[in-house]
Amino acid sequence: MNKTVLNRLRDVVFKYFGMACTLFGLLMLAIFIIDILIRGLGRVNWDFITGFPSYIPENSGILPAMVGTLWVLVLTAALAIPVGVAAGIYLEEYGKRNYFARLVELNIANLAGVPSIIYGLLGLEIFVRVLGMGSTLLAGACTLSLLVLPVIIVATREAIKAVPKTLREASYGLGASKWQTIWNQVLPAASGGIVTGVILALSRAVGETAPLIVVGALAFVPFVPSGPMDEFSVLPMQIFNWVSRPQEGFIINSAAAIIVLLLITFLMNGVALYLRNKWQKKVKW
Amino acid sequence: MTHSESELQRVKNELILMWKLVSAQLLKAQKALVTMDKDLAREIIHTEKRVNAYELNIDNDCENAFALLNPVAVDLRFVLAVLKINSNLERTGDIAEGIARFILEAENNFPDDLLAETQVLTMFEEASDMLLDLCEAFDKENTEVARTIFKRDELLNEINRAANKCIAGYLRENSAHMEQGLHILSTIRKLERVGDQCKNMAEEIIFYVEAKVLKHAGKKEGE
Amino acid sequence: MTPEFKLEAKKVNVYYGENHVLRDINMNIEKNSVTAFIGPSGCGKSTFLRCLNRMNDYIETFRMEGDVIIDGKDIYDRNVRVEELRKKVGMVFQKPNPFPKSIYENVVYGLKIQGITRKDELDHAAEESLKRAALWDEVKHDLKKPALALSGGQQQRLCIARTLAVQPTVILMDEPASALDPISTSKVEELIHELKSNFSILIVTHNMQQAARVSDKTAFFYLGELVEFDETRTVFTNPKHERTQNYITGRFG
Repeated sequence: MNKTVLNRLRDVVFKYFGMACTLFGLLMLAIFIIDILIRGLGRVNWDFITGFPSYIPENSGILPAMVGTLWVLVLTAALAIPVGVAAGIYLEEYGKRNYFARLVELNIANLAGVPSIIYGLLGLEIFVRVLGMGSTLLAGACTLSLLVLPVIIVATREAIKAVPKTLREASYGLGASKWQTIWNQVLPAASGGIVTGVILALSRAVGETAPLIVVGALAFVPFVPSGPMDEFSVLPMQIFNWVSRPQEGFIINSAAAIIVLLLITFLMNGVALYLRNKWQKKVKW
Repeated sequence: MTHSESELQRVKNELILMWKLVSAQLLKAQKALVTMDKDLAREIIHTEKRVNAYELNIDNDCENAFALLNPVAVDLRFVLAVLKINSNLERTGDIAEGIARFILEAENNFPDDLLAETQVLTMFEEASDMLLDLCEAFDKENTEVARTIFKRDELLNEINRAANKCIAGYLRENSAHMEQGLHILSTIRKLERVGDQCKNMAEEIIFYVEAKVLKHAGKKEGE
Repeated sequence: MTPEFKLEAKKVNVYYGENHVLRDINMNIEKNSVTAFIGPSGCGKSTFLRCLNRMNDYIETFRMEGDVIIDGKDIYDRNVRVEELRKKVGMVFQKPNPFPKSIYENVVYGLKIQGITRKDELDHAAEESLKRAALWDEVKHDLKKPALALSGGQQQRLCIARTLAVQPTVILMDEPASALDPISTSKVEELIHELKSNFSILIVTHNMQQAARVSDKTAFFYLGELVEFDETRTVFTNPKHERTQNYITGRFG
């Protein structure tokens, strides 16, 4: 057997190995989703979505948890996006390349990998206790904001870095100041990447449970939160709570809630994909 | 050596070959005149075709150099100089041919005393020497040698100026040699023009090497 | 008193960190003329060009000594606002770099950032600039079309129009035709000829023929030094320095 044949064989073997790995991953996901759908789809109906938690599984609903999730989402976005994007712009455009900058950079990269429960403890100490927010929506959102900030900062920096130098030079060359150049040229050109990063970060926040448990999200909320200072629950909390109960009905309920949560995350990822494609089509270099 | 350098070197070599050929033509004309060798005169007339072929070739090479090599600075001046020297040499070749035709037409030998009194042979020698020295100056980019040509041309002019009187005097005494006398006079006139061609070529060499425009003195440099 | 020269560089030295990239450059540029900068890559000609509208300020290791004086004022003076300077000294880059916006938005960008918002004023400026850049007839019906849909040559003329809109008096061009096909190149060169009557143009080019065609004066840079600066006619027929001759005749080294 000569080299060419051997190489080709290796090629074929690796191709099928890769294919098998991909299929395995997809299969597991499919089994999970199908299992959830079989168990929970029958339970997803209008009453379930608009109902309140109850001790009787059949009467339980997810309205408070869902509204809580949406609140957390909106508040986290409102807190994390401006801070994260601004920090990203600062680090990329204004920050000097020195030892301190490299230190900050390294730390941000590390922060993205810190277990979320640590953020929960941080939030508990700073927001709930020191700042006296209590176990409110605001404290939860602040904690989640900390959690997703590194992701948003890194995404913003990468997107800004990808904006070609020639575009900035063109703007500077016409007498634009640094801020005008960033606002009029760099940010629009980088917006596709930034928005994608932000949405992916928020979808992570939506799925988080651990930090919110630590901060003190409730497992049983018989009311719909109406403001940032209300106590709250979120969908993952609700699911966690139901799964830990012995009754079969609650297990079904949690499957149904998972379906809703999945829908929300899929929707957000879809929007991210759509926006990215749209911007990529508009901006060609 | 870059492509354009070797290309220009080739043109230079070709021009030098032409130069030597033209100078040989003059010397042959001198020999034919002295020995009244009509076969040699015919050979000169025949060889003139080769000189013309050289001229066409070099013209063509210069045209190509302009179109393809985009010569600038020293290269530009070189090609311009080659172009002009080329036509100067071609005219010098014509002059040699013209002299050869006189020899063909002549029915009798040229008397030795006529040749001696008019100094026409000196002219021949000096003209072909000037040509060869210029060729050397061009090849070696030696402007000092080129500059000596202006002085040497004066000798040719002197002989030419004296020729009328000299030949008139000779003919008064030897009226039988009327035809020969007139042929020699024409030959002297032609050789005087070789001197002018040499001066032009010297100017071109100096222009090519040093970029001084000598022609039409009075105008400013570079114009 | 009007200064004798439009632009004067006096003993300009530039360093990138430890690298001494420009040495003692002295150069006087006359009003309404075209000056070409030639020289091998890395000789400092682009760096020098970028010193003239302080485009190098963004390079952190950049350091400059000496003076650059435009219209009698030192542009590196503490009181000079770099944005104001760049309105006066426009720049066209090597690669056409229109903004990913409409043709119209590209042309009026420089005016909008100055705070000009009156539509008739902007419209007028856009039309004038596009006409001067010889692009108006080609785009007058699709001013709203994205600039990136134009051909490379049109994009470069749009970039020139955009620069003209801010009404500079000096235009710096960094190899403006190196990414263009011959026809677009000749259009840009033609344009440079026309603009010469109102602007002082400085152009970096690697194309000897282009430098010879468009410029009045030519500066030859080598290893960070200004070797020769003279009338283009003289440089291309009878350069004073052997290095210049070797470079322009292509026997460098």
